[in-house]
Amino acid sequence: MASPDLLFNLRNLFYLGAYQAAINNSDVPGLDADAAAERDAIVFRSYVALGSYQLVISEIDSSAATSLQAVKLLALYLSGDKESAIVSLKEWLSDSAVGSNPVLRLIAGIIFMHEQDYTEALKHTHSGGTLDLHALNVQIFIKMHRSDYAEKQLKIMQQIDEDHTLTQLANAWLDIAVGGSKIREAYLIFQDFAEKYPMTGMVLNGKAVCCMHMGSFDEAETLLLEALNKDAKDPETLANLIVCNLHLGKPSSRYLSQLKLSHPDHVLVKRAVSAEDNFERALQAVA
Amino acid sequence: MLTKFETKSNRVKGLSFHPRRPWILASLHSGVIQMWDYRMGTLLDRFDEHDGPVRGVHFHATQPLFVSGGDDYKIKVWNYKTHRCLFTLHGHLDYIRTVQFHHEYPWIVSASDDQTIRIWNWQSRTCVAVLTGHNHYVMCASFHPKEDLVVSASLDQTVRVWDIGALRKKTVSPADDILRLTQMNTDLFGGVDAVVKYVLEGHDRGVNWASFHPTLPLIVSGADDRQVKLWRMNDTKAWEVDTLRGHMNNVSCVMFHAKQDIIVSNSEDKSIRVWDATKRTGIQTFRREHDRFWILAAHPEMNLLAAGHDNGMIVFKLERERPAFSVSGDTVFYVKDRFLRFFEYSTQKEVQLAPIRRPGSVSLNQSPRTLSYSPTENAVLICSDVDGGSYELYIVPKDSAGRTDYLQEAKKGAGGSAVFVARNRFAVLEKSSNQVLVKNLKNEIVKKSPLPIAMDAIYYAGTGNLLCKAEDRVTIFDLQQRLILGELQAPAVKYVVWSSDMESIALLSKHAVVIANKKLVHRCTLHETIRVKSGAWDENGVFIYTTLNHIKYCLPNGDSGIIKTLDVPIYITRAIGNNIFCLDRDGKNKLITVDASEYIFKLALLRKRYDHVMSMIKNSQLCGQAVISYLQQKGFPEVALHFVKDEKTRFNLALESGNIQIAVASAKEIDDKDHWYRLGIEALRQGNVGIVEYAYQRTKNFERLAFLYLITGYMDKVGFMCKIAGQNNNLMGQFHNALYLGDAMKRVEILENAGQLPLAYITAATHGLTEIADRLAAELGENIPSLPEGKTRSLLIPPAPLTASGDWPLLRVMRGIFEGGLDATGKAELEEDDEAAGADWGDEDLDMVDASEAMANGGDGFDAEEGEANEEDGEEGGWDLEDLELPPEAETPKNAGNALSVVFVAPPPGMPVSQIWTQKSSLAGEHAAAGNFDTAMRLLSRQLGIKNFAPLKPLFLDLHMGSHSYLRALATAPIIPVAVEKGWSESASPNVRGPPALVFTFSQMEDRLKAAYKATTEGKFPEALRQFLNILHTIPLIVVDSRREVDEVKELIEIVREYVLGLRMELKRKELRDDVNRQQELAAYFTNCKLQRVHMRLVLGSAMGLCYKQKNFATAEHFARMLLENNPNESQAKRARQVQQQCSGKKDSCELNYDYRNPFVVCGATYVPIYRGQKDVSCPYCGSRFVPSIEGQLCTICELAVVGADASGLLCSPTQLR
Repeated sequence: MASPDLLFNLRNLFYLGAYQAAINNSDVPGLDADAAAERDAIVFRSYVALGSYQLVISEIDSSAATSLQAVKLLALYLSGDKESAIVSLKEWLSDSAVGSNPVLRLIAGIIFMHEQDYTEALKHTHSGGTLDLHALNVQIFIKMHRSDYAEKQLKIMQQIDEDHTLTQLANAWLDIAVGGSKIREAYLIFQDFAEKYPMTGMVLNGKAVCCMHMGSFDEAETLLLEALNKDAKDPETLANLIVCNLHLGKPSSRYLSQLKLSHPDHVLVKRAVSAEDNFERALQAVA
Repeated sequence: MLTKFETKSNRVKGLSFHPRRPWILASLHSGVIQMWDYRMGTLLDRFDEHDGPVRGVHFHATQPLFVSGGDDYKIKVWNYKTHRCLFTLHGHLDYIRTVQFHHEYPWIVSASDDQTIRIWNWQSRTCVAVLTGHNHYVMCASFHPKEDLVVSASLDQTVRVWDIGALRKKTVSPADDILRLTQMNTDLFGGVDAVVKYVLEGHDRGVNWASFHPTLPLIVSGADDRQVKLWRMNDTKAWEVDTLRGHMNNVSCVMFHAKQDIIVSNSEDKSIRVWDATKRTGIQTFRREHDRFWILAAHPEMNLLAAGHDNGMIVFKLERERPAFSVSGDTVFYVKDRFLRFFEYSTQKEVQLAPIRRPGSVSLNQSPRTLSYSPTENAVLICSDVDGGSYELYIVPKDSAGRTDYLQEAKKGAGGSAVFVARNRFAVLEKSSNQVLVKNLKNEIVKKSPLPIAMDAIYYAGTGNLLCKAEDRVTIFDLQQRLILGELQAPAVKYVVWSSDMESIALLSKHAVVIANKKLVHRCTLHETIRVKSGAWDENGVFIYTTLNHIKYCLPNGDSGIIKTLDVPIYITRAIGNNIFCLDRDGKNKLITVDASEYIFKLALLRKRYDHVMSMIKNSQLCGQAVISYLQQKGFPEVALHFVKDEKTRFNLALESGNIQIAVASAKEIDDKDHWYRLGIEALRQGNVGIVEYAYQRTKNFERLAFLYLITGYMDKVGFMCKIAGQNNNLMGQFHNALYLGDAMKRVEILENAGQLPLAYITAATHGLTEIADRLAAELGENIPSLPEGKTRSLLIPPAPLTASGDWPLLRVMRGIFEGGLDATGKAELEEDDEAAGADWGDEDLDMVDASEAMANGGDGFDAEEGEANEEDGEEGGWDLEDLELPPEAETPKNAGNALSVVFVAPPPGMPVSQIWTQKSSLAGEHAAAGNFDTAMRLLSRQLGIKNFAPLKPLFLDLHMGSHSYLRALATAPIIPVAVEKGWSESASPNVRGPPALVFTFSQMEDRLKAAYKATTEGKFPEALRQFLNILHTIPLIVVDSRREVDEVKELIEIVREYVLGLRMELKRKELRDDVNRQQELAAYFTNCKLQRVHMRLVLGSAMGLCYKQKNFATAEHFARMLLENNPNESQAKRARQVQQQCSGKKDSCELNYDYRNPFVVCGATYVPIYRGQKDVSCPYCGSRFVPSIEGQLCTICELAVVGADASGLLCSPTQLR
């Protein structure tokens, strides 16, 4: 019998968005050095995902492993210190000793993705190597509206481990991106997660997005309200609720102001702001 | 062979199944006839009156009778209910071999070594026919199941078929005198009641057995030549068909199987053989070590066989009869007659789904054993024992239900058991290597997982998990983590049943039910004496299961009981409320209605849902001693109280639950000493002094009563008691009470009265009552007792009680859990109603070019770069060694160095979906959703002449905001906005982009219209106007699917426009306070708008009133008439008629610009009539009409378009473009 995968649970929690649960359950006994390093990276990435940037920045000192340094860079970047984060990121990447560290490359991909520099992001991530990197590639290609490339990345993931949570998730992302009958499959993937693991806001949001794309806004609303119960401040839940309520013809302004207050950088907020400018500009153009 | 029951006894020569009860008769060589219950395995009775071996025995089909024949030449008929031999038929002159009742007539046929077969009438107890012709022992004779035939086998090497038609005719119409006369004649001449029809010759030795086929004209016989022969007959002749060779010794008995196309024979070679009746080949042989077989019997209804041998008998069946089934949601899938079928519980409809493969080889027990179903993929796994265990995978297309013609090639594989573990994954147990193979729906292996311990079966245990069964335990194994999640000792589990929420599991083994939770933590075990067959969880968490003969329940705490007795075994598939759905052995779905109230009641008690308990007590006739004793046992005497009428039981229960009030009431009813006494004790325990006192009073227990008064401080009552004691001449009591009172005088007095003068003197002297002491001393004379010296004297005064009055603080008594329990009502969970009301958009196939496909030419050469490995980190020295140990995937990242980034060319981005939307569309709403506001505005301007976009701003923004949903992908990476498309359907092909799903839909407009109508009716005109305008503003941006809807949209514009115009005029009218003429005009114009009738009536009413007040009688009369034409209600009509009466013939007092005889429209800006023939201009969008001077201005009705502007017309559906 092969040895049990001790980090399995932790990884799933992280990928499915149960960050606090991942942190709480990180104390896994009997880990070897590699697994422990991976564990630490997941824990700090969870903290970053929860927005505890300062904690990550202060906890990781200069003697920590490369992967943790990378996570620290991400925290730095997201906390607003973009320039210096990118400068040191580039420095790290050019260092041949550590530049190939998969976590570092993953973080580089994420940061350049935030910068909307997809070419730069892909430069570091395209060769893959870990499921995380491939999953990020899938995401980048989806963002670039290149589902054909995303599909190739997914195929690679499926060859590595078809039943892996991340593979399944990436599959769902791609399914949603290409639409059509695939939406149903994405829904089933999220449904599987919902049955197998504790419900997370991410899974509920995933299901809700599928429902919206299938035209079932009522069901989507139910799911989103459930997600809102779990986390009343989750930006995606709020954003999707706004969209959902618009389609249902229900008022959504309160969610919108909530989102504007808590996450002024959210895509939806940015889109709304730019749309207003756009409208004024269009008025002038037409007039 | 599946042995069901076995006995050890003397040699068994005769066997007979009871047609309905689970009984079998075995006649023994020792002369005893045994009656067994083969289900319970008990000997019910034995009949021992024959002298010597009993070879033949047979149950009657309907009467409580059986017949036996033995070596004592006697045929005995018995009543098994009275355990008596009713009578004996004499006549045979040698051993009797077999006896058999006729299925219809009161006949018995017997075969004897005296070379005859006799037919007896057991009602008249006479022999009615003797069949002669065999010239050796007749070994067996039996009636044909339907026709008037008898078949017999004899050691003369022949099988004979006899026609007994004449005998039957004689029995049917015995009253026919003439016939009887001729019959009497024939009787005299040797009898033709039974004649030999055929003589079947072919066996080389004596024939031991012959029997008919139950339906076909076939006979099978077995003989000492070790052969089984098959014969066929028609009306005129009979002939040998085939010979079955294989037995190594004399064949003793042979018969056709009633339900399957097989022949079963047994022999003195110690074997039972099963033959295929069509192919005439041996299928299977069962051997015994030492026992020669003598007799076979088949159950007339069920699939059971019995065989007698040298040392007893066995009851067995050849094949399993449990249908393979699997419950999924509202349906159960099962296999019946080589078809996969399903049954819907809600509709109770059965549907044949698909044919399944027939096993290639003909052998027994090849039918499906288990079935596993994946609802989302509509795939079915069927496992059977074919080829030592194999599975077949069928994927049923959704639309093929009911089509039987279609036979699909199943995907097959070997494996002990196979079960779905996820939507599109199933696990197969490979026993040889003890590992589980996980496969996908293409039957390809995805993963292999070795199992920690040797397992012999696997079951589903939630997604990704398996329940594995070993000899003595079950474990739950996580296939992904390869971890054991739970383990439970449970011997030889055969079936597992999960509750629908997957929280509880029931493990069924042969004689036990084990209930555990999902982590396999043991909850309870039930042991059964007979086989456990099946089970299902009901919606309340009660496990309903069946044994061979009962439906039973098991509560979560392990309490169990019988719900219903069963005649035949069934397999429960689902239990809901009082309904139990099951499959029977023929694969038929049945619904059994049971009375669930008992276990629901117990469950409610267990869960402390006293509100349910309460309502059940109120509403149902639960009462019964069993329930009361259950309640008492389970510690609910207070609940039991509510059931009991009998006062003594009630009293006992009341005491047990401490309910004093009820106990007092009962004690009063019963009124005997013992009960009062016990009441007193309980009341004392609770400190309820009043009741204690009452109880003591009722029993006249003065001593206790006095003591009670003492300790509770009622000294006056003690005094009273003292008096009573005095009246009763109870000296001792009197003295006690005096002592309690501390009244020395009284004591002296009592002692004195009692004649105890010395004691009285001492008492008096001690307490310093010198006067009395002196008097007593005088009376005593010289017998004065001497007082003890040197003692100090003290007055004996009882201590003062702590509480001087009233009850003690009472113990808190459970005053009936119901008061508390009732608070728990209303906890009924709200059913969550989250069925999607899916927007039913049609299948919009716009044939959009796949943009991402078209763009996919750049950025090749991406995959080629994988190969360049670099080993440049030589300077890392010692670390290198460690790196080599890493798993392979950790090495690949090394490719990613800077060297490669030069070669890598990222593909150019594809086209966003929103851009695709705008490329194909000339619908303004879709452009707005895509964020292309300028093109949207241009479209609106061109199509509808809209120039004022300010009112549209929020709508544009909403459309844009609602066009994308947001998908969080990898943690902390930017989220992905995904375009929400319209017209999704299951069959839509991916990568073909549909139009955007807009947040405004036509159906919403209809709802808003209703709301606006309502506001109008309620007279909230500004509100109504706002709502109508909102509709009018939204319409340019909506998109509908069909031409018909386009027309509806246009209609809607007109309706709304009329209302907006009308409401604007009405609001204007309200502003004009002084100009009454203008007011009347505006009211009159309002009536010219096309409105709903209900609104029209209101408008007419107000116009009528206004005009009447201003004495414009002719116009008012006109409005009154119109109002009457518009179905007014009672009061409106009355008012209108009054106005009509008042106004008829009168003239208007002033001139209005209103000529109702001349059709007109009202100008939307100036509110003046534009009569037919006058010039006007109109709004290109809403179609409102204006006087020509308004041209070029913004339309005052819709506020959007410019009056008189050029426009191509409303475009709101892609269908308009085709």
